[in-house]
Amino acid sequence: MLLILYSFSSFSQETNLSEVIMNVAEELAADEADPEGVATYIERLQELADDPVKVNTSNVDDISRLFFLSDFQVKALADYSKSSGQIISIYELANIPGFDKKTAELLIPFITINDKINIKSDAVRWRSTLITNFSIKPGIEDSTSLGSPWKILTKYKFTSGSLSGGLTSEKDPGEKFFYSSPPQTDFLSAHITYNGRGTLKKLILGDYSARFGQGTTINTGIRTALSLTAPGYMSARNEIKPYTSTDENNFFRGAAAEFSFKNLGLSLFYSKNYLDATLGSSSGSSEDFIKNFHKTGIHNTYSLVQKKDAVSEIAMGMNLSYNFRKIRFGLTWSDNKFSLPVQPETVTTNNVFAFQGDRNTLYSIYYNSLIRRILLYGELSTNELNRYAFVQGLSFRPSDRLAVNLLYRNYDAAYMSFHGRGPGNNSVTGNEKGILGNFTFEAAKHLFISAGFDRYYFPWLKYRCSSPSQGTKQEVRAKFIPSEKLAIEATYSYKASMVDIIEPIGIPKLNKIITKRIKCSLRYFLHEDLTLGTRIDYKVVDPSGSKGMLLLQDLIYRLKPFPVTVWFRFCIFNTDNWDSRLYTYENDLLYSFNIPALSGKGSRSYFMAKWDVADFAEIRIKYGITSLFEDGFTQNNKDEIKVQFKIRF
Amino acid sequence: MKRLSSLLKISVSALLVFFSLTASGSNLYRPSAGAGEAGMGYVCVMKNGFWNSFHNQASLAFNRSLSIGFNYENRFNISDLGTRSAGITIPAGSSSIGLLYSNFGNTDFKRERTGLACGIKLSDKISAGVQVDYLSEKTSEEYSNNRSVTYETGILVTPSERLSVGIHLFNPIPNSIRKTYLPTTLRIGAGTTLSKSLFTGIEAEISTGSKLIFRTGFEYEAAKRFWLRSGFSSENSSFSFGLGYLAKIVQIDIGFLTHEKLGVTSSISLIFKIH
Repeated sequence: MLLILYSFSSFSQETNLSEVIMNVAEELAADEADPEGVATYIERLQELADDPVKVNTSNVDDISRLFFLSDFQVKALADYSKSSGQIISIYELANIPGFDKKTAELLIPFITINDKINIKSDAVRWRSTLITNFSIKPGIEDSTSLGSPWKILTKYKFTSGSLSGGLTSEKDPGEKFFYSSPPQTDFLSAHITYNGRGTLKKLILGDYSARFGQGTTINTGIRTALSLTAPGYMSARNEIKPYTSTDENNFFRGAAAEFSFKNLGLSLFYSKNYLDATLGSSSGSSEDFIKNFHKTGIHNTYSLVQKKDAVSEIAMGMNLSYNFRKIRFGLTWSDNKFSLPVQPETVTTNNVFAFQGDRNTLYSIYYNSLIRRILLYGELSTNELNRYAFVQGLSFRPSDRLAVNLLYRNYDAAYMSFHGRGPGNNSVTGNEKGILGNFTFEAAKHLFISAGFDRYYFPWLKYRCSSPSQGTKQEVRAKFIPSEKLAIEATYSYKASMVDIIEPIGIPKLNKIITKRIKCSLRYFLHEDLTLGTRIDYKVVDPSGSKGMLLLQDLIYRLKPFPVTVWFRFCIFNTDNWDSRLYTYENDLLYSFNIPALSGKGSRSYFMAKWDVADFAEIRIKYGITSLFEDGFTQNNKDEIKVQFKIRF
Repeated sequence: MKRLSSLLKISVSALLVFFSLTASGSNLYRPSAGAGEAGMGYVCVMKNGFWNSFHNQASLAFNRSLSIGFNYENRFNISDLGTRSAGITIPAGSSSIGLLYSNFGNTDFKRERTGLACGIKLSDKISAGVQVDYLSEKTSEEYSNNRSVTYETGILVTPSERLSVGIHLFNPIPNSIRKTYLPTTLRIGAGTTLSKSLFTGIEAEISTGSKLIFRTGFEYEAAKRFWLRSGFSSENSSFSFGLGYLAKIVQIDIGFLTHEKLGVTSSISLIFKIH
């Protein structure tokens, strides 16, 4: 039986990974307020899958890398691993207090259990991984672009004992391959990290990301509470980690260190980085202020190249935390200074509270307390104008089958953090207050139900809302897992938001947009080499009544005689307009993703093959095509080709 | 007078295209063959049977006898809206081969379809099939005639004796490489044998440019070799019912499909199981 579970888990690992990603990623992709959130989230999970947690030999800090687990679950897993010795089956995890079959399946791609054997030799060996991705959309030609239409991504990382390092280089479509002198690609990022077990726990030189407390002051990673019905994402943990993503503007470049003295933790960081921005001139001669920041990272035209690295930013900060027996307190100070002041071109009612000046200093105090089955956490941050951001959360686990979360946040309209990301729906941590609640319940032996709501207000005006506005999100998700081979999931979500109705004169009135969506999916592991997935989506947007629907079939097959796995998808969609567009996550190359927004009438299909050339080398090829009917009969095809080479040595 | 006649022909042709679309799924090129399938509301992508072999070629692998079938379908009691079909299935080793011909319409507008199919059992639980289609559309006088070649493919999975899952894809070829437009259709369905004599199924279908359709239906063996069938389709809120009887080597099926506005589509088919 155990052997069956082992072999099953090895094939299902990638299938499970894409399912875990899909559940949250599509929701994030649809969130216009956080365009980079989905990329950060997917990269984080792919990174974790590439370097899974060794549960049998890990401490609490290592297990904390499973960032989607709640604090209860991290502690329970660490305790279980210590007390029971070797965990021999993935499904043994379902018996740990606070875990269930659903969570155990969620963990499959991100943990290893047979890790004791090679631990000594692995610890000192120099191990490297090199990944190169090439992708192109042949039909899209832009004569204004400066470079070739290829997107090229290269990632190299190494580990050797306590030392690790990495280098990331990226060229987006249309960008020149090399810039400046000495020649370098459009985006180049590197780091060297030392992981210690003594007072110095971590030292990073180069690029890194950081997060402290609830993230309202410093958080360049994933925001808390990013999913309504995945309660694990409510947790927030302090971390400084090497930066390996490709968001070209939201990271630190310099040095960061983490120290630990008994119950006291200290993190320090210093960064000097260059940011893309549009500059303005008040005197008419030289550019002397920042109109706005340019965050897409695309530099494929002359005007966009002009914005590249237009301003420098010096950021520094400190985080101090102290663990009492049942409560941890923390203090964070951060300061960032731009080489030019930020100043809107014209002051309007909309941006009256927007940040102005060249320096932003923030202070925050936070706590985290786990008392039996109750976790309380909160944070209060303030800037030099005494404008604040406040977060208070409660996680409660009345039984091993039920988890409940509540989270309140209140951000002043004039609070601004350039590298912070607290829980919320606005594009910045500011001008928002709201309450979020959710629960996960193991309703029957194989049935899991989770539900969540988020009610939020924007007390001041915001983009496309010329009056204070509000919104609601609700979601119910039911998952039925009758056996290890079959999973059925149904999700109903409701979202109410407000946007301006364009009127010729006067202040625009707000229009309430209601989006309802049903998503049903079925995944069947027919045998160890074949998986089938079917999905039906239906969406209605009111008051326009616009409807969207799709039917999708996935097939994943591992060719037995050859070390080749193939993915095939065919999807037909029909949406009345862009409002009722549907997002579908696709399997893709490592460190690349595709969640097309399907709109109009047509089909989307792709084929991907992975060939394990040898133990140390892997090649992936993907071809995807979207066919759209412009007028019912004329067809417009958009396709893309992607190739990946991965070598371990 | 000649001009009036032409106008009449145009309107008749347009109506024929419209009517051929209704009551048989949103893909007008989908075969209407099989009165038994019509009785169940065309819930057939996951079910074995002679005509089902042309709805999901994977089920051809389960047709282990040489069989010949004829079908006639009449939409809304209009003689011009008739579809005549004939098919043959031939077992060949571990696979089976099938041939289908059907034609719809009258002398002013005729749609013909010829298909050569093959189904094979890949393992105890999985079978797959493929069919190459030649489609032709003829309109009288100066109006253009369309001809097209495409293929369709399907798989049938039987995880247990009582459960079957069928997936079928018609015309997955991008239309840009062909002059004539053809819709692509995806059908996915699951069926279960609730008791020895009762089979029920549910199916979803979507064609490019059309809405999603759901169907459900059942087949009940009321007496030995005598079946009652019924179904429902979300397209036009259409109900269907029918019956079938197997007398030695001949199976006769009758099916009726309702349309909320246009009336009833009736069909009759004969299947001869020769060897």
